Amino acid sequence: MTKPMLKMTAAFADVMPAEYVELVQSGPFGKGYGVADLGSFKELIEEHPLCAGCGLALAVRLIMASLPSPEDTVVVGSTGCSSLAFPQIALQNIHSLFGNQNAVATGLKRALTLRFPDKHKDVLVVAGDGATADIGLDMVLHSWFRGEKLATIMLDNEAYANTGGQESGMSPEGCVLNMAPTGKKFKKIALPEIARESGCAYVASVTPVQPRKLEKAVRRAILVAREVGPTYVQIFVPCPTNYKFKPQETLVKAKQKEKDQTYPLREFITPEAQSYLAAIEGGGKRD
Amino acid sequence: MYVTAKVDEPKCIGCKLCIVACPDPNVFTFLKHTKKVSVNVARCKGCGLCVSVCPKDALSVGNV
Repeated sequence: MTKPMLKMTAAFADVMPAEYVELVQSGPFGKGYGVADLGSFKELIEEHPLCAGCGLALAVRLIMASLPSPEDTVVVGSTGCSSLAFPQIALQNIHSLFGNQNAVATGLKRALTLRFPDKHKDVLVVAGDGATADIGLDMVLHSWFRGEKLATIMLDNEAYANTGGQESGMSPEGCVLNMAPTGKKFKKIALPEIARESGCAYVASVTPVQPRKLEKAVRRAILVAREVGPTYVQIFVPCPTNYKFKPQETLVKAKQKEKDQTYPLREFITPEAQSYLAAIEGGGKRD
Repeated sequence: MYVTAKVDEPKCIGCKLCIVACPDPNVFTFLKHTKKVSVNVARCKGCGLCVSVCPKDALSVGNV
């Protein structure tokens, strides 16, 4: 998707949907907007059917606002709560079979590199914790082992929230859910550490409590994935429906977990990625 | 019955914290001329996350 493709034919302007007209007139394409500009431009995501107070929806919204070049981004999603939101975004978007997202993205990235050798086409994988850490773990790990230049983002709501609340590999030890009544028996998977050891050039875990930090992590992940190697960002998104708290407490819960270190925020950068980031961020350039 | 967020205009200082705390897109608009926010009630789901981050108690959730 390039800028000229987003121009409307004047003769059809009066029959185009209002949302589309708004997107062409005040959308973020080619403007370099970030999270700080939210509220003053038409967002890429139109609306979504996710629950009130959903942390995942907030994270998706912030991710969409922090893309360095939305017109050259393809989002690969997978089954889960996030797949209910992605059909409503104004970007190319692929819904893959459950767990296959990194395998699909690998093929897509290779094809885009052949088709547009002189351009950066960002392939962004956004999936839930079930698709990334349980069902699709082999695809995810092998895409890292092969060094595919993909940015993988996990929306970690610590449960299979879409199917009634089964425990996932990312649920904390001892947590009781609708369909895990005896509590989880083993520990949460340390995927950031696994990612670091598996060859990711940039690894971060963030929460939507600090939107600027989230923006920085997503931006860095996409930029490093253009040149250096695979990247991984894990976003903690509390789920009010399955963890049984009020929708207005989502951010408080996230802040509390961040504070008492039950959800440690980490950032691992390889020296190569560090020097690349220093080169592009040093000059004050945003992308 | 629908509940939505409401802005108490005189109290709003335009800090934009509610805009980055809202899970639903295009609900809050930042008005450049008055430096305050406005709510699109048709899109608001009334979760109350904006109320929990507002430093000046300018937001409330109630019936339409």
